[in-house]
Amino acid sequence: MNPSLAENPPRTALGRFFFAQETPFGMALLRIFLPLTAGIPMALRFPHVRELYTTDGSPVQLFEMYRQGAVLPVPSPAVAVPLYGIMLLCMLSSIVGFRTRTSLCVAIVLYSYFNVLDGIGTLTKYSVIASHLMLLLAVSHAGSVWSVDAFLKKRSGAVNVLPPRFSVWPARLVQLMFAFIYFGASITKIQTADFFSGDQMRYWMLSNWNYANPIGEAVAMSSPLLLISAYLAVIWEVLFGVLVWRPRGRAVMLGAGAFFHFMTWLTLGLYVFPAVCLSGYFAFMSEEDIVRLRRISLFRPLKTVLRLPALAVSRVANSFPQTVPASVTWTCLIAAAAIGATEAELQMDLYQNHSQSGLLSLKPMDREVALMMLRDKKTVREHDKFFNFEIGTSTIGYQLSNRRSEFSVGETMIAQCNLNPPHEDMWVECLLLDDEERTVEQFGQFVPRENLRANFFYTIGSRLVTGRYCMVLKSANQEICRRHFSLNGKSSDAAFDVSTN
Amino acid sequence: MTRMKSLLVLGFIAAYLSALTFGTVAHALKVGLCGNTLSYYVVWDMFCGWSAWDARTHLIAEGASGQYYEVREPWGEFHPFGHLARIHYDNTNDLLPRHIQNVLRHTAHEPIDRVFTIEEVWPKQYNLPPGLYDEHFGRPNDKLSYYHLRAVFRDDGTLMSIYPDWHAKQKLQAVYDNPRLRRQSANATSLFSTLYNPSEARAGSNLNTSMGAGLSTN
Repeated sequence: MNPSLAENPPRTALGRFFFAQETPFGMALLRIFLPLTAGIPMALRFPHVRELYTTDGSPVQLFEMYRQGAVLPVPSPAVAVPLYGIMLLCMLSSIVGFRTRTSLCVAIVLYSYFNVLDGIGTLTKYSVIASHLMLLLAVSHAGSVWSVDAFLKKRSGAVNVLPPRFSVWPARLVQLMFAFIYFGASITKIQTADFFSGDQMRYWMLSNWNYANPIGEAVAMSSPLLLISAYLAVIWEVLFGVLVWRPRGRAVMLGAGAFFHFMTWLTLGLYVFPAVCLSGYFAFMSEEDIVRLRRISLFRPLKTVLRLPALAVSRVANSFPQTVPASVTWTCLIAAAAIGATEAELQMDLYQNHSQSGLLSLKPMDREVALMMLRDKKTVREHDKFFNFEIGTSTIGYQLSNRRSEFSVGETMIAQCNLNPPHEDMWVECLLLDDEERTVEQFGQFVPRENLRANFFYTIGSRLVTGRYCMVLKSANQEICRRHFSLNGKSSDAAFDVSTN
Repeated sequence: MTRMKSLLVLGFIAAYLSALTFGTVAHALKVGLCGNTLSYYVVWDMFCGWSAWDARTHLIAEGASGQYYEVREPWGEFHPFGHLARIHYDNTNDLLPRHIQNVLRHTAHEPIDRVFTIEEVWPKQYNLPPGLYDEHFGRPNDKLSYYHLRAVFRDDGTLMSIYPDWHAKQKLQAVYDNPRLRRQSANATSLFSTLYNPSEARAGSNLNTSMGAGLSTN
C-alpha cells in the first residue's frame, strides 16, 4: 500500500471512491482477457496487413471518412509489418504480464494507430472500447498480480507475502466508462426512429453483416419480443450508471449486462463486441469478490488448474538467469517479433508478387451477367415494397402480436401489412374472399411514404357464415399476399364493420 | 503518493471524465460532432438504424477489348466482421477508388477503360432460412436483386461520374412522382444564364451566368 494513503486514508466519499486501496485482481483479469479478445481479430488480420494498412494497399483513415484528409502517415509495408508484429507481441506480453505497463503503452499506441488507419475494415466501436480499456490498464497496476512481473519481483525478494494494494481509480474509470457507454447507447436508441416499434431491430437481425445469427432471424419475426426487449435494453442502459455502484444493484446490472451481450451474440451474430465488453466487466470485481470466490467450494478444484499457468510462467522465467534484466529480454522479444513478422509476411506474399507464375489475373465476367447488372432498369416489384401481411386480433406497440388462422363471430380481426421503406405514397387494399373466391368485403386506404405499416380492422358480424375465408392484400391492383382463416361460432345480428387505421 | 503524482492522477481522471461527458452531451444535443474525427472515440452510437434492404457492392471493369472483369481481390477477400468482404462495409464510398486502384495494380489484365460500381439491393425478408420463410410468408421465396449504377471510375480510381444511391433514388422518385411538384419545377426560375454573379460584375463582365465558379447544379 502507498504509505501516505495508508497513514491518511481519504476522508470524503468521493475520495474513498477513487482512492480506496485494493489489490487489483479485477484489473489483472481484465489485463488477461482484454488483449486476448481484442488481439485475436487483429492476429487474423495479419495476412492482410499490407492491404489494410500500408502504402501498398488501400487503407482509408478515419480522418478521411470525416473529410479531414490523411492526418496520419501511411506506413510502407517495411514499417507497418514489423510494427504490427510488435503490437501483437505486446498484447501477448500484456496477457502474461511481462513488462506489463510498457507492453500496454506500446500496444495501445499501435492498436489505435492501425485501427484509425483502416476505418472501413478494422475500426469499429468494439475497438474503440478496447482502446479505452487498454489505456486505463496502462495507467493501472494490473501487472502487479498474476503476472510474470509479479513472479520476477517475488523471485528478487522485493515483495511482502501479502499481495500489493493500490488506489482503485483506474478500475473506477473503467466502471464509469461503461456507465457512459450504456447511457450514450440509450440516447442513440431513443433518438433512432422506429427503434421502439421493433422495426429497426428486426432489420438488423435479418442483415447478414456480422456472423451467422439463426436465432436472431427467428426472433426477428416475433414483434412483441422485439418491442419488449427494446424497452428493457434502454431501461437497463439508463439504470446501469445509477445502480451498478450498490452491492445488490451491481449483481443485477452486471448480470443483465452479461445477458444483453450474450443475446447480441445469439441474435445479431456479434462475436468480438460482447467478448470485449464482458472482459471489461472484470474491472467491477473487488478484492472481496475474489476472496469470496476462493471460498466457494465449486472453485476449489479449479485452483489446481489455475496454478498451471503460474507454474509454466515460473518454469520459463527460471530458465532465464537472474542476471539478465527483464527489459533486455523484452527488447529481444520485440526485435524477434518485428523480424519474425516481416519474414512471415514476405513468405505469405499476399499479392503473389514473387511467384513464378507472375501476377494473379482478374476474373473475367460473363458478358450477359455484366450487361444485366449494368443495364438493370427494373422498377421495384409491388410485393417487394411489403415486408409481410398477417392477421390477428391484438397489437403491442402498433405491431400485430398474435397471428391467427381461426376467428369467431364478434371478434375484431386486425389485418396488418408492414412495408419496406423507402416506398412511395400508396393505395393499399384488403379484400375478404370466401372459399369460392367471391369478394365479400373490400376496403382500401392511402399509405403515405413515411408510414411503415397499415392496419385494417374487421369486426366479424352477421354477414358471414362459418366456413373458410381469406384476406387478400392488394396494391397497384396486384395481389401481394393472402391469409386464409376459418370462421367458427354462430352468426349474430351485428353488422360486418370495416375500418382502417 | 507524491504531490506531483497526485496532481497527475487527478488531472488524468478529470480529463478522462470530461472527454466522456463531452461525447455524451454532444451526442445527446447533436452539437460539436460534425467534422470531429476524435468524437468517434467518445460517442456511443452503436445502433444508428438499419435499412429494410440488404446491399452489396459489385465492381465491374470493362477492358479495351470489351471483355468485362470482376474487380475482386484474386488473392482472397478480407472479411472483417463476418463473411462479407471489406468493400461491402464502405458506407461512405471512400474505399472504392483505392480498392479499384489496388486490385488493378496487383493483377494482370488488359488495359481497362472504365470500372463500374454497381449497387445490388434486395428486401431483407428474403434472407430468412427456407423453413422460417415458409412459416411466415406463405409464398415462394422469389428473391430478386435490383442493380443500380452508382459510379464510374477510371482504372486509376479517378471518379468519372457518380449517381445517387439506390435509396436516395427511390426517395427522389417518390417525391417527384407528384404532378404538382413536376409542374412547379418545370415553371420555376431557370437556372441557366439568369443568375447575377456579383464577382463577375465587379470584374466588368456584363454577361452573368451560373456557369463556371458560381452556383452549379452538378
